[in-house]
Amino acid sequence: MMALRLLPEHLVNRIAAGEVIERPAAALKELVENAIDAGAGRIEAVLGDGGRSLIAVVDDGHGMSRDELALAVTRHVTSKLPDDDLGNIRCLGFRGEALPSIGAVSRLSLTSRARGADQAWRLSVAAGKVGDPAPAALGPGTRVEVRDLFYATPARLKFMKSARAEAMAAADVINQLAMARPDIGFSLVTDGRATIRLDTTQGELMESRLARLKAVMGRDFADNALAIDTARDGIRLTGYAGLPTLDRGNARLQFLFVNGRPVRDKLIYGAVRGAYQDLIARHRHPLIALFLELAPDAVDVNVHPAKAEVRFREPGSVRGLIVGALRHALDGAGHRTATTIAAAALGAARPAPPGLFAPPVAAIGRHHPASELAEAAVAYQAPLAPPAAPEAGKDGEPVDALEDFPLGAARGQLHDSYVIAQTRDGLVIVDQHAAHERLVYERMKSALAAAGVARQMMLIPEVVELDASGAERLAARADQLAELGLVIEPFGAGAILVREVPALLGSVDVQGLVRDLADELAEIDQTSVLRERLDEICGTMACHGSVRAGRRLNAAEMNSLLREMEATPRSGQCNHGRPTYVELKLADIERLFGRR
Amino acid sequence: MKLTTERSVLLKSLQHVQSVVERRNTIPILSNLMLSAEDTGVSLTATDMDIAVIDKAAAEVHQNGATTAPAHMLYDIVRKLPEGGQIALSTEGAADRMDIREGRSNFTLPCLPIEDFPAMTEGEFSHSFAVPAADLKRLIEKTRFAISTEETRYYLNGIYLHTPADDEPPALRSVATDGHRLAQVEVDLPDGAAGMPGVIVPRKAVNETIKLLEDHDEPVEVALSENKIRFAIGAAVLTSKLIDGTFPDYRRVIPSDNDKVMQIPGKAFADAVDRVSTISSDKTRAIKLSLESGKLTLSASSPEQASASEELSVDYDSGALDIGFNSRYVLDMTDQIEGDHMRFRMADAASPTLVSDGDDSRALYVLMPMRV
Repeated sequence: MMALRLLPEHLVNRIAAGEVIERPAAALKELVENAIDAGAGRIEAVLGDGGRSLIAVVDDGHGMSRDELALAVTRHVTSKLPDDDLGNIRCLGFRGEALPSIGAVSRLSLTSRARGADQAWRLSVAAGKVGDPAPAALGPGTRVEVRDLFYATPARLKFMKSARAEAMAAADVINQLAMARPDIGFSLVTDGRATIRLDTTQGELMESRLARLKAVMGRDFADNALAIDTARDGIRLTGYAGLPTLDRGNARLQFLFVNGRPVRDKLIYGAVRGAYQDLIARHRHPLIALFLELAPDAVDVNVHPAKAEVRFREPGSVRGLIVGALRHALDGAGHRTATTIAAAALGAARPAPPGLFAPPVAAIGRHHPASELAEAAVAYQAPLAPPAAPEAGKDGEPVDALEDFPLGAARGQLHDSYVIAQTRDGLVIVDQHAAHERLVYERMKSALAAAGVARQMMLIPEVVELDASGAERLAARADQLAELGLVIEPFGAGAILVREVPALLGSVDVQGLVRDLADELAEIDQTSVLRERLDEICGTMACHGSVRAGRRLNAAEMNSLLREMEATPRSGQCNHGRPTYVELKLADIERLFGRR
Repeated sequence: MKLTTERSVLLKSLQHVQSVVERRNTIPILSNLMLSAEDTGVSLTATDMDIAVIDKAAAEVHQNGATTAPAHMLYDIVRKLPEGGQIALSTEGAADRMDIREGRSNFTLPCLPIEDFPAMTEGEFSHSFAVPAADLKRLIEKTRFAISTEETRYYLNGIYLHTPADDEPPALRSVATDGHRLAQVEVDLPDGAAGMPGVIVPRKAVNETIKLLEDHDEPVEVALSENKIRFAIGAAVLTSKLIDGTFPDYRRVIPSDNDKVMQIPGKAFADAVDRVSTISSDKTRAIKLSLESGKLTLSASSPEQASASEELSVDYDSGALDIGFNSRYVLDMTDQIEGDHMRFRMADAASPTLVSDGDDSRALYVLMPMRV
């Protein structure tokens, strides 16, 4: 048996490095965060061999003096906790672990010139051994160079992914940090190639933020994002939420920031999922960038070594704010669908070689078969007067006035399934079944919400066995569940007695439902499963109760469908998250024919 | 095997057995019927490993023998052959084929060896008794609507056939419930049934038994043990495994002191419920009963703002009461009422309601209200 002993400092640092610096991107993150905390206006990062041979970060922040340099590489030394209060953290860093940890596993060199100082100093650390500061040449700011990362911990070296994968992870780190700080310029050079170049964006916060998000997340996002800016109870939420029809197969393009710090938080993801529920297909994910700002003492960031998770003092109100703000923004978007869909439609239309181009004979002028040819000729002469127009005008409204509506005036129906409408500056193709399904569904949901959920009482109440904490969590939500028609009460330790179930669910698998709810509560602290089940039934009924594809509509019916779509929130996508219509701008169509 | 039989005789037997065979099977032999010809008839056996039904059809047997053939195909063929025809079945051509011949129609079906056909082990039966066919029909038909279709409470997926506890008069009783409503029906205790174990007969066996009981009036021989039950109905014999579970103590949920009593003509009530519930088109199907002295008002409304109401004169004087029900449940129950009147015994809008058939004191129904 060996005697107990205190571990030597360099080992402690290496162990700490294991938590904080798990891969090159993590080291880069720590260094860039330091640069941001140092008040830099421009941060340049250089990566060699995926960060294995070199990670360098140069900033123009306030720098460090000779004495501070030596202190900086000592454990638990930080400038970021001015009053020793962990409850009041205003910087990205605070643990004082990053530099010593990096120093413990690599060859680290720090060069810094404090603002106002006339000289820079350099300090080198190799595998935890700190050298003496030496004079050096540098403009104001700090340059940190990490060479041969993990050379002191060969085991970690073996677990490194390919240089390419590490470089991509590093780019993700820079992008994320950059999204939160449009006022700082960022650049990343990987193996001599500039992979990221983000200039400082000017202007008011939302504007500059959108410009930065566009640079990072792409033009599609910027074109199809809804601005969010709301505040309640000292919490401010800003950012951009993508339209539901702009979706992805995974949640990688969902970015969440708490006080400027990128986090991956289950609570927030849950809230986003809740807000987009029934707007987006079950396994698709919206694009989103949300920035939460709240008093430092209302959030605990000291939960996770890499600070990827946070804890809120009042998770309920944070969640409520996010769901509320997103829902409000999405409802406001009404029937908008993503422009990417139009782009996809145009892309699909374009490749047909001219010789093979045999357009399917459309049914636009269904009462005037002969007019199809005429129509082709007329198409060159804007403004159009297609044969369907007189019909649309029958119900008293002049067609011209209808064109001012966002979805325009119905001009005809194709294949008895798609409504074609003309707007002032383009045309709209509506999937009549998908659109009407959404309308019926929304009507049903609001009726359900107004009337309350009818509850079937159980003659023989059902006991569901759960684990003790699961049962407790559910019991705490009993009121909320009762509103949705599920009446439960605690039944000894670790069991729940179900007294009433939503009548809408019919003879439901109570056990399964309650277990799903308990699991969901444990995982993301919310109970959307029940709501989803109810909505699903509404959805099925809506599907059966709506106009099918293949049903012929007259002009009045088509126009009424369009007007109702404009008036109904969330009508841009059907219950399954598919778009209900595609809008093609006249300019796009002209481009299609080579006129632009 | 070689035999000739009348189409109508064979069809009747096939009707008795074919529905036991599931439409889709992972084990091919389970799609087949076993046909076994012996001297004066052919016996047909169908099984899904839980239930086995055997029926005999008279036939002129030219050569004894047995085989198995696809049940649904055989049934469809016989069904479509002309009435009054003479059907010849033969496996003389090849062992793995059965030829079917009627007039100028010829069919050949693939066969599987009879050795593969699962035999249901009969085992010992601890009790056996004869029940009048009408009694058995009553026990099943008046309760089966309440059988649960939800699988997690598997012990509710059947009819609980048992003799009541010692403090009640002797009877043979069946009970079914899905946790929302309950049906309980009794008949006279047959000789030999006293002391039988309470058994849960699965839904499928119940439905197959009812099919065999159609146009059958002779007493049915019932034999049962802890895990099997057998009904001998004429030439047909159905053997089923029982649901291995404990039926809940249903007596606790049957209210005994409900004091608000309403008496109402069954047919008029059922028709009115049916009419009013047209409005509650969604899956909730809620209907409200508003009672005051001598008058019942039925009402329903839909999320789309439609509404309906209907007034009925009733025999009631116990103070005003509003109570909601699932109209489906109400109609399922009124379907079972045979007498002129039915009686509702209620306590309040949140407690079980007891319903009985005016002329029949041995059948009762319990309905849990819905909050609307």
